[in-house]
Amino acid sequence: MGALPVEAEGLVRRFGDLVAVDGVDLVVQAGEVFGFLGPNGAGKSTTVRMLVTLLTPSDGVARVAGFDVRTQAAQVRRAIGVALQDAAIDPLMTGNELLRLQATLHGLARTAGRQRGAELLERVGLTAAGDRRVGTYSGGMRRRLDLALSLVHEPEVLFLDEPTTGLDPMSRVNLWEEVRSLNTERGTTVFLTTQYLEEADQLAGRIAIIDGGRIVREGEPAALKAAVGSPTLRVQVMPEHTELARAALAAFGEERPTRPGVLAVGLEGGAGQMAAVVRALDEVRADVESMELHQPTLDDVFADATGRRLEGAEPEAPAEGAA
Amino acid sequence: MTLQTSAALGLGHEHERALHPAAQARALSGRAVRGLFRAPQVWIPSLVFPLFFAALSTAALGRAVEVPGFPAADSFLDFLFPATLTQAVLFGSLGAASELAHDIESGFFDRLIASPVARSAILVGRLAGAAVLGAIQAVVFVVVFSAFGAEVKAGVGGMLVLPVVAVLLAIGLGAVASALALRSGSVEAVQSAFPLIFISIFASAAFFPRELMRGWFHAVATYNPITWMIEGLRHLVLVGWHTRDAATAIAVPAVISVLGTALALRSLRKRLASTS
Repeated sequence: MGALPVEAEGLVRRFGDLVAVDGVDLVVQAGEVFGFLGPNGAGKSTTVRMLVTLLTPSDGVARVAGFDVRTQAAQVRRAIGVALQDAAIDPLMTGNELLRLQATLHGLARTAGRQRGAELLERVGLTAAGDRRVGTYSGGMRRRLDLALSLVHEPEVLFLDEPTTGLDPMSRVNLWEEVRSLNTERGTTVFLTTQYLEEADQLAGRIAIIDGGRIVREGEPAALKAAVGSPTLRVQVMPEHTELARAALAAFGEERPTRPGVLAVGLEGGAGQMAAVVRALDEVRADVESMELHQPTLDDVFADATGRRLEGAEPEAPAEGAA
Repeated sequence: MTLQTSAALGLGHEHERALHPAAQARALSGRAVRGLFRAPQVWIPSLVFPLFFAALSTAALGRAVEVPGFPAADSFLDFLFPATLTQAVLFGSLGAASELAHDIESGFFDRLIASPVARSAILVGRLAGAAVLGAIQAVVFVVVFSAFGAEVKAGVGGMLVLPVVAVLLAIGLGAVASALALRSGSVEAVQSAFPLIFISIFASAAFFPRELMRGWFHAVATYNPITWMIEGLRHLVLVGWHTRDAATAIAVPAVISVLGTALALRSLRKRLASTS
């Protein structure tokens, strides 16, 4: 496939006076997992609905798998797989029946459709539930079936709209595994919308943050986080050693506000300075009780871009590299 | 799942996957019919209520057949047979359109239109569900009415006309209601149309003979096509085979089907143009 999986230029969608999407430019490269991150109502779903031909753009151009979403909608639909958050699955049908129906809609012959359905059920771990009605499935099972349905025709580009919203943490991790293996084993390009920072961080090689219908940041998560600033090192020492430690840490960067009894410093040299910090604290004989390195999170990136914290954002978790 | 099996299935190369609108329509019809069997609670009332209505009317108004001017009928039950079937089909086809509206509300419709399905296949699937239900209703009513002593004077030919009319009427009314479902996208809107269609049946000769009507009501009933259909059927039930009656009884719902389907397709295109 020579064409870019997704490219959009100046995409706009108005609903009456409301501008839901206000000039979005996007480029998604073949084989990447692209995370489209933003709070509720930011324009994520509206953008996706335009890309999957369910909504006509008010302005701008978008091409998906090389086809114009406006003038070549039929070709777009054949090339993409879609799992929309708010598109329900008929609870009266079984998983097998839905897969066969989807296969027929995509033009697979009966036997090919059946074989493909069985493969996909196995892939998402629903073989045993294949003949049960979807009404009896748990939320996680439905999302996995939804993923299987979107893969029936081996799409070039897969659109997953908030695939784990409302799932318990266990099911969420399972689904992430599926998406990851799809991408690495099959090279499927994935366009993922999410309101979960962690999800974007875990899955996406590149993300765009949308807010108020505009893209406010775009790039690799690590680079975006690095651009926000240096990681924060938090050190807790014996109370009587606090001043000793503060003096030692001053050499590594500016002190940052934190809880009482804890010292925090912006590590200008990044995680690579950790060994030097440990040596410096050892030299002044400060007894260290704990030490944590916090990388900037995507929430910090979001806050930096918009001045607000992402709605429903998880509390900051200790990042990789904690000592 | 390996690359080999996928290649063997001819996937990934979209020119090797030909889309078949007929197969799509068949698959969606299959879904609608399976849905009927899996959620019978949705349409069982469409059989039970008209039967109760017929039983009560026959008990209450049974002697109406003796009124001078009333068409010659063995019983009021025989007289009501066509109206009862029409009533049941009306309930059933509104149910089919409600299912379509429900698909729109729940997002299943979006799931369909995001796939390369032929747009008309979505409508065909729903109407097929209505048609199958119409046929079931006709067969059940022939059996139940026969069990209670009603007799179709036109014999086997007449008994065959009944399901044909029921199926065509189910498609026709189902299509009209589907147009409403597609325009409103709301189950409530479809169900609120019920009284309107119901009145069009009451404003016909369905439950009372035109011979005994007067004034404006007589005029309305005379020009109401439902009357033409019901009187055609009624002659087959009460009197005997008459090709002209059979033809009229079939022609009316056939025309409603054609017009209704055209209207529904237009509504479908409108919905797709406004959302897609």
